[in-house]
Amino acid sequence: MKITEHPLYKKVIKDAWSYWTGAVLLAVLNISLFIVSGKPWGITGAFANWGAWIYKSLGGHPETWAYYSNPDHAKALTEQSFFTNTLSVQNIGIIVGALLAALLASQFKIKKLKSWKQVAAAAIGGLLMGYGARIAYGCNIGAFFSGIASMSLAGWLFAIFIFIGAWIGSKLLVKVFMT
Amino acid sequence: MAEYRLDCLGEACPIPLLKTQKKMAEMKVGDIIIVEIDHSCAMKNVPEWARKEGYNVEIEEVDDGQWEIIIEKNK
Repeated sequence: MKITEHPLYKKVIKDAWSYWTGAVLLAVLNISLFIVSGKPWGITGAFANWGAWIYKSLGGHPETWAYYSNPDHAKALTEQSFFTNTLSVQNIGIIVGALLAALLASQFKIKKLKSWKQVAAAAIGGLLMGYGARIAYGCNIGAFFSGIASMSLAGWLFAIFIFIGAWIGSKLLVKVFMT
Repeated sequence: MAEYRLDCLGEACPIPLLKTQKKMAEMKVGDIIIVEIDHSCAMKNVPEWARKEGYNVEIEEVDDGQWEIIIEKNK
């Protein structure tokens, strides 16, 4: 029997896991990460550091920014590098893990660009999300998922506005891409 | 008994589902639509919606990371 026809391969590697399996795994892994690194899961904090490191290497002074006057954020500039900043390493893990999952399921595909409208929307959306995630001190992982898991009121507030934002976003999406 | 093809390659959720719903609303009973997708989450939400509507659905993996969802407007 070919391994790709084995029922266990189909169940674990090929088919999507149920929402329940995903939810329980995310919860267990976030708790483990919190125990090991002392911080719950986050993503976009690393992007701010990557930008700041590049800016600094070009002669800029990100340490004077209000964002890096926070002692916890300042560590990224004073004592950490790409490989000692846990957030950065975690993000590489997400990319490598996602690639591995797609390759194992033989679902890797380089997708074509459908239209320049799609490219523009992705770029504008990405910039807005990045900006929003930094002024909110987190994205839907750091501020929402880890926030609520930490019993933070900010996490619940974030949740309300995610729904409002997603509602407006879906209306825009239909207007721009369905005509 | 017409057969339609809907090219949703390169489109992310929820566009394939919205396009399928829009197209199926225009179709007659007995017509078939083949939705071409390469976004794995569309493989979940498009058939899920169609089955809930009571349509016959089949999924075919045509290439690595590429699928065809065949839906019959059977009612």
